[in-house]
Amino acid sequence: MTFLPFVFILTSLITFVAGQLFLKRAMESTTAGGNGHPRFGSLLGAGIFLMTISFFLTLGLLQRFDLSYLYPFQGLSVIIIAFAAAIVLQEKLTLQLTIGAALISAGIVLVSIS
Amino acid sequence: MPMQNRPSGFANPWFQLALSVAFVTVSELLLKRGASDTANLATNWSWTGINSLASPLVWWGILCVIASFLSWLYVLKYIPLTIAFPLSRVVDVLVPLSCWIFLGETISARRWCGIALVVIGLAVVAKPVARLEERL
Repeated sequence: MTFLPFVFILTSLITFVAGQLFLKRAMESTTAGGNGHPRFGSLLGAGIFLMTISFFLTLGLLQRFDLSYLYPFQGLSVIIIAFAAAIVLQEKLTLQLTIGAALISAGIVLVSIS
Repeated sequence: MPMQNRPSGFANPWFQLALSVAFVTVSELLLKRGASDTANLATNWSWTGINSLASPLVWWGILCVIASFLSWLYVLKYIPLTIAFPLSRVVDVLVPLSCWIFLGETISARRWCGIALVVIGLAVVAKPVARLEERL
């Protein structure tokens, strides 16, 4: 793999993970304090903005590579998101969940290097 | 954890997770078809993928993305990300299988092994969740 596609794949991955964290925070804020949470709009907006960047980068990549090759790179996001949710959102991450997430990520990477 | 008092039927977050996954799978197939149809790699802007918007299939794909996104937001309201996100990667089994069936892409032996590993990982994540659900 040459350098440029790697940069685009990495960027789409990072923006995707960050977007998910923002969205989770946004939706949590709707259950916690009833309606009219002051940060809901900006959290949702930030999440959607990051996901949009990730989406268009992915479209550009799709024009160059097979979907079955390209798509699974997002699989790395499984283990990254599991840890990010545990650290940033302070969700409970059990050993079994970690192992499961690692297996899923490993499987997806195996698919993507074929 | 708001997992105890969650709605049932169509509003059940686990059903919405399945719906979200189905929409993602369909959207990926539509986007691949549409993006390939409109690929013009010579232009300066082609890395942004913006010229894919010329394809109607891409717009159908975008509709599916929006539908899956709304279901996903609903899922996030009720299910922790550490559980919901790994489970949502069942798409990484469904998408290669669909590529194989509908787009005629090939799946190598190594790729089949990867798919099998994902299935095992999904089972490992889903098992404690299923036990939790039984108790409720």
